[in-house]
Amino acid sequence: MNLAFKDACHAPARFALTSFGVAFLLTAVIGMVGLYRGVVEDALLIIERIDADLWVVQGERAGPFAEASAVAADVDRRVAGVPGVADVRRFSQFSQQFDFAGRMRRATVTGVDVPADDGRWLTLIAGRWLGAGRYEAVADAVTGLRIGDRVTLARDVYEIVGLTRGMVDSAGDGLLFVVINDATVIAQRRTSEEIHLARAAHGSSGAASADTSSVAQDSKIAAVLVRLDPAADHARVRAAIARWGDVAVLSTAEQRDLMLNARLWKLRLQILAFTLLILLITALVVSLIVYTMTIEKLHQIALLKLIGARERVVAGMIGQQAALIGFGGFLAAIGVSRLIFPLFPRRVVLLPSDLALLALLLAVICAVAAFVGIARASRVQAREVLS
Amino acid sequence: MSGAPVLSARGLTRHYASGAGVVRALDGVSFDIAAGELVGIFGPSGSGKSTFLMLAGLLERPSAGEVWLGGQRVSHAGVHLDGLRATRRRRIGFVFQRANLIPFLSAIENVALSLEIADVAPPDARHHARRLLEALDLAHRADSLPARLSGGEQQRVAVARALANGPPLILADEPTAALDSARSRQVMQLFRRIATTRGTAVAVVTHDPRSVDLFDRIVEFEDGRIKK
Repeated sequence: MNLAFKDACHAPARFALTSFGVAFLLTAVIGMVGLYRGVVEDALLIIERIDADLWVVQGERAGPFAEASAVAADVDRRVAGVPGVADVRRFSQFSQQFDFAGRMRRATVTGVDVPADDGRWLTLIAGRWLGAGRYEAVADAVTGLRIGDRVTLARDVYEIVGLTRGMVDSAGDGLLFVVINDATVIAQRRTSEEIHLARAAHGSSGAASADTSSVAQDSKIAAVLVRLDPAADHARVRAAIARWGDVAVLSTAEQRDLMLNARLWKLRLQILAFTLLILLITALVVSLIVYTMTIEKLHQIALLKLIGARERVVAGMIGQQAALIGFGGFLAAIGVSRLIFPLFPRRVVLLPSDLALLALLLAVICAVAAFVGIARASRVQAREVLS
Repeated sequence: MSGAPVLSARGLTRHYASGAGVVRALDGVSFDIAAGELVGIFGPSGSGKSTFLMLAGLLERPSAGEVWLGGQRVSHAGVHLDGLRATRRRRIGFVFQRANLIPFLSAIENVALSLEIADVAPPDARHHARRLLEALDLAHRADSLPARLSGGEQQRVAVARALANGPPLILADEPTAALDSARSRQVMQLFRRIATTRGTAVAVVTHDPRSVDLFDRIVEFEDGRIKK
């Protein structure tokens, strides 16, 4: 006869509510861990998917994800001439607000070097990749844009020709892919007054030559992505480029490290701290629940001892009840998580390994809680049944 | 008295230290209960009858003296009570003023639990428990939870539980105190029947004089001693 199960069935509503209490705490833990995983995954999306061996960024900078970076407009051609380089792509990324359907939207404009970049590192859920033409964009679904939508960026109208899912930056803003020249135009947008002031500052008459602007133009190319020949010596190529002095060269691993341990470090730390805090609260609550359930049953425990029950019968009842609460709470937490986290604005990633670790932690918490309850029960004397 | 002693108390003494000095709850009590004997233990409050039952039931350690069950010394001043759990399980059945049934188990489960604790297979335990309940006219209440049973029914389930392992000794402490006179008489008749038909030694601590006629023998306690 399973006493723990019988007791749970005797007051199912109470047991279910207790399990749900535990489940919601666990849901918070799963949510925090999932949010952490989501933030990391989002932050590393571009770095890991874009298929670059080296990132050439502004000299003495760690850009473009850790700090601002702008390389000269000819860097891509210079890098392409280095022995061992298979191909180069220009890259830029910046946040942009725009008005669409009467609402301000926000996206991270990502300039990709079409046709060098064929977009195969992206999975489209609808539409097509960017053609060689201008004024087209591929948007992530999270921006709220659809195929065929037209949005005004800077002074130009862009048509959405493709959609991605789950392509966001480290802040959770959806990516909006445009060709690199369009991205440069969008980034260089200035008001008329700014242009006048800039011309005045340079003493220009306003007559622009055919190949130079009358307004000083900073480069908006954040980085040049380099793919190496399979036989190329990474270190040699890297040293050759770095020797120029006006650029810095980072590997994908270094970009990854900069993103996680520089830009996201405090956020990661904060999420982990909260996760630990909730885990601690969960441990205390579960222990308290199991202990309270034991206290409520002291009379029955004394009776069991009176009729000669071995200590393991009592310990089994308390242990199984703790396990039932833990197991029930864990299952309910997974159910609730799968139900509500997809509705959250940021991605919450539920990894089987994280859930397994949480299950293990919960088992330890339940074991400790059961131990506390069993320790209390072991002090109960059979004669207490008469009190 | 019929047959060999099932319970023998030899100079049983229980002293408690209190602020006012030493309280002699039981002071050198000796007597035997034989198989098939129904003994009524009477006495005013504080006379030591419940203390005697605690010592005889191996729930407390005597300050001095010994408890013998079936010719074997089981308890004395230096005994480790936890080690007597198996002896209690096999040899003693308890019935108290309150039925002390486990609220989340049905009547039949409460009875079967005693058997399962004694390593009887669950189907056998359930089968035997049902037979016991039938014998006590409770077959129709077998699947009811204690909260749905009357006081008398609960007490009869408690008796069934005490009988489950076929112990040679049943100790009952005020088993009819919470019952009306009719129910009280029924329960005492039940003890009488158990002693007669099963040969069980039954000791009943009671204040209730209404069933005196059912006892084989009455032992009166006063100030921790048996009244001569």
